[in-house]
Amino acid sequence: MEEKQVIESFLNDRTDEAFCALFEAFCVRLRRYFLLRGLDVATAEDLTQDVFVKVHQKAGELREPDRFRGWLFAIARNEMVSYWRREQPRVESRHLEDPVAEPDMASALRLTDMLRTLEPAERDLVVLRFVDGLSYEELAEALKLPMGTIKWRIFNVRKKLARSLEVSPARRARQTIN
Amino acid sequence: MSKMKHGISELEWNDYLDGRGTVELRDRIEAHMIGCLECWQLYERLSDATRELVEASEEARSGLPLEDRRMHAMLRGIFSRIRSGPTKSHIEGRLNLLEGVLTPFCGSQAALSALHAAAQKSPARSLDRVTPDNWAPFLENLSAIATAMCGATFAGLIRESGQL
Repeated sequence: MEEKQVIESFLNDRTDEAFCALFEAFCVRLRRYFLLRGLDVATAEDLTQDVFVKVHQKAGELREPDRFRGWLFAIARNEMVSYWRREQPRVESRHLEDPVAEPDMASALRLTDMLRTLEPAERDLVVLRFVDGLSYEELAEALKLPMGTIKWRIFNVRKKLARSLEVSPARRARQTIN
Repeated sequence: MSKMKHGISELEWNDYLDGRGTVELRDRIEAHMIGCLECWQLYERLSDATRELVEASEEARSGLPLEDRRMHAMLRGIFSRIRSGPTKSHIEGRLNLLEGVLTPFCGSQAALSALHAAAQKSPARSLDRVTPDNWAPFLENLSAIATAMCGATFAGLIRESGQL
């Protein structure tokens, strides 16, 4: 079943079967979002579960399937912010939102290096836009920001990354090889 | 917010780099770049950065797998929470209430520290993992901390406020 059908089926029918299909379609993406935003595997999976419990409870609030992905990631982001707020006093040794080195994060090392050069709000944008493929409309819904602000921030991300890539030894080495 | 340089705004550059601009915008930027080395170099740098970002994002997307076994365990956990009594949101609400009761007596930092300490000493081991199942020992620890901080009467208030 295509993603759009999965979403429509869940919003229209709200059956356990439709919820399971929705979970299968989005759980990997939500877990990956949390991992890329600096959470360990156990916490990423806990928060993924929290998000789906909220989706189940709040699905009645959403009528338009086209808004689902933005709405889903807005819930995910709120869960993450609440988590950071609760955990901040306990963690002093590193910035909570810095990407962490988990054993199964090897494929994401290049991206996490890039994310380290960005502000937390910009990391959200990058992960949601470039990894999860959210449209500008969906980003505006997820981050509760006007579309112009989203575009302006994306442009700033491009500029920041261009500057950091100019001084990156790994990139200079790749260019030399090529 | 969006600066204009050489007649091209940052939002227009962004649309152009995304391939979202109108035909008119594309023609205007491309005609300008033919005669402007500065803008051509800006475009090269930004499109390089975008390409790197897209490639790195594709790598990340293809990795970070989740085993079926783990996925099913998560789904079972979700259904169990949906169908059980107090949910995580009840717990969060109760934690917020307890923080609100503690704060006027000992300040917001000490209130949060007390909640964390109570959780750490309980089977939950961290505030984030306090659930309806391990709520009772957590609340007992918090009451003990409240007794030490402000006496038995205050601890009674904490115990009362913390009932699910």
